[in-house]
Amino acid sequence: MTDDPSAPPARTATGIEAEGPRVTGGTPDDDHAVIIELDNLNVFYGDFQAVESVNLPVREKEVTAFIGPSGCGKSTVLRSINRMNDLIESARVDGSVTYHGVDLYGPGVDPVQVRRHIGMVFQKPNPFPKSIYDNVAFGPKIAGYPDDMDDLVEQSLDRAALWDEVKDKLHESAYALSGGQQQRLCIARAIATSPDVLLMDEPASALDPIATLRIEELMYELKQDYTIIIVTHNMQQAARVSDRTAFFSVNVDSGQRTGRLVEFTETARIFTSPDKQETEDYITGRFG
Amino acid sequence: MTEHHEIELRHHFDDELDEIRLSLVDMGSLVLANIRRAGTVVLENRLDEVDSVVAADLPINEANDDLEAKVFRILALQQPVATDLRFLVASTRILYEMERTGDLAVNIVKSMNRIDGVPSEPVLEAILGQLIGAAAGMFSRGVEAITTMDADIGLGADAEDEETDRLTSELFSAVTARQDDLGLEASVALFYIGRFLERIADHGVNIAQNITFAVAGSFPEDH
Repeated sequence: MTDDPSAPPARTATGIEAEGPRVTGGTPDDDHAVIIELDNLNVFYGDFQAVESVNLPVREKEVTAFIGPSGCGKSTVLRSINRMNDLIESARVDGSVTYHGVDLYGPGVDPVQVRRHIGMVFQKPNPFPKSIYDNVAFGPKIAGYPDDMDDLVEQSLDRAALWDEVKDKLHESAYALSGGQQQRLCIARAIATSPDVLLMDEPASALDPIATLRIEELMYELKQDYTIIIVTHNMQQAARVSDRTAFFSVNVDSGQRTGRLVEFTETARIFTSPDKQETEDYITGRFG
Repeated sequence: MTEHHEIELRHHFDDELDEIRLSLVDMGSLVLANIRRAGTVVLENRLDEVDSVVAADLPINEANDDLEAKVFRILALQQPVATDLRFLVASTRILYEMERTGDLAVNIVKSMNRIDGVPSEPVLEAILGQLIGAAAGMFSRGVEAITTMDADIGLGADAEDEETDRLTSELFSAVTARQDDLGLEASVALFYIGRFLERIADHGVNIAQNITFAVAGSFPEDH
């Protein structure tokens, strides 16, 4: 699986030696606990294997970025973390995804509950065709939120750094907002149900540079309270916002393209001195 | 009631840059304190203080390594451009200037150790006193430029530094005139000390000129 036979065996966050790509996702002084762990994760769509053997620990209250060329499986891996792949009939997952030690694919686990704890923000802002207020209140209302909804809406919009821009038009349509504002509304909607993990799939790729920087700055603030995993095509964005970066690449065997994790380590290391030549070739623009 | 906030673009990046600037000022203050300590060793023949000057260079080297790593990391991760890029590139040069200045303070006290103190001679003592003050003053101007981000200090720095150059020449002439009394070893040591002090002032000039580069976009013409 690894290109470099001399590479030392990967060390997972649990300290268990494992075969596979180099994983150095921890430093000795690291005090952020592992909240999500992907263990030998394989994802299939019918007979097609989209991703093979991913081992990856995600630490809480950090930003973890997934980068890699198109078709490397990074979005597939992201979507497996809150069981979004369940919505695709032919999708099948083996290996495990644990969250606070619970196997999310174990028997009796309700995917709706999973998504309440692990929220998602998509590439294209997708507000509901409702008011700004109702967009944020929608999830909590369904979940029977017992306290003051106005306070929750205000708090969620404020955390998404949108309150000041919308406080006077809460009952206007969400569609009246700009793209960047809509995306922050989607973030407010995601955090209104009090998740502790946010998955972001290319959250800024449909936005202009200023709106993009605003989302990035917001991520920096949100990680005080949330664990964030972001998929991005923009390597510079991964460099700016993330604490750790996973680089995925793709194997092409007998016409099949199967994604695999090449290297996962601290972002500063990936962008200054990556362990794998394949990573270096990708981030320096010499491959991919 | 929630306390509301708005997003300031690249706020934490600005904080990181300011932290670099403040750390450069802190490192400059350590260097300046050690220049003054070395000056006391020379002027008061405090050979008992030589070891403390040597020891005080260690935290300076550590600050250099730490800051260099931080700047390297920001360059790799934040894709700085324009003023930010110039400031970070200037910071790496300033680190070099400061680290070298720290070494010069050590070189001065080691020269003193070799000759067992400066011979008691009023003219030499007077020139050395002025030269130490001028060199420390010029280095201090460099640190002031970082503190205030004032491009003008670098523009006038070369002219300000003429005083140090003049005093260095004066010291060389005074030593040459007294070389028979001083002996070869003491004469050579005093030449070295003069040269080290002149270099300290030059580093101060370079620091101020790097701030001019960071702020105004180009070095002064006399750089």
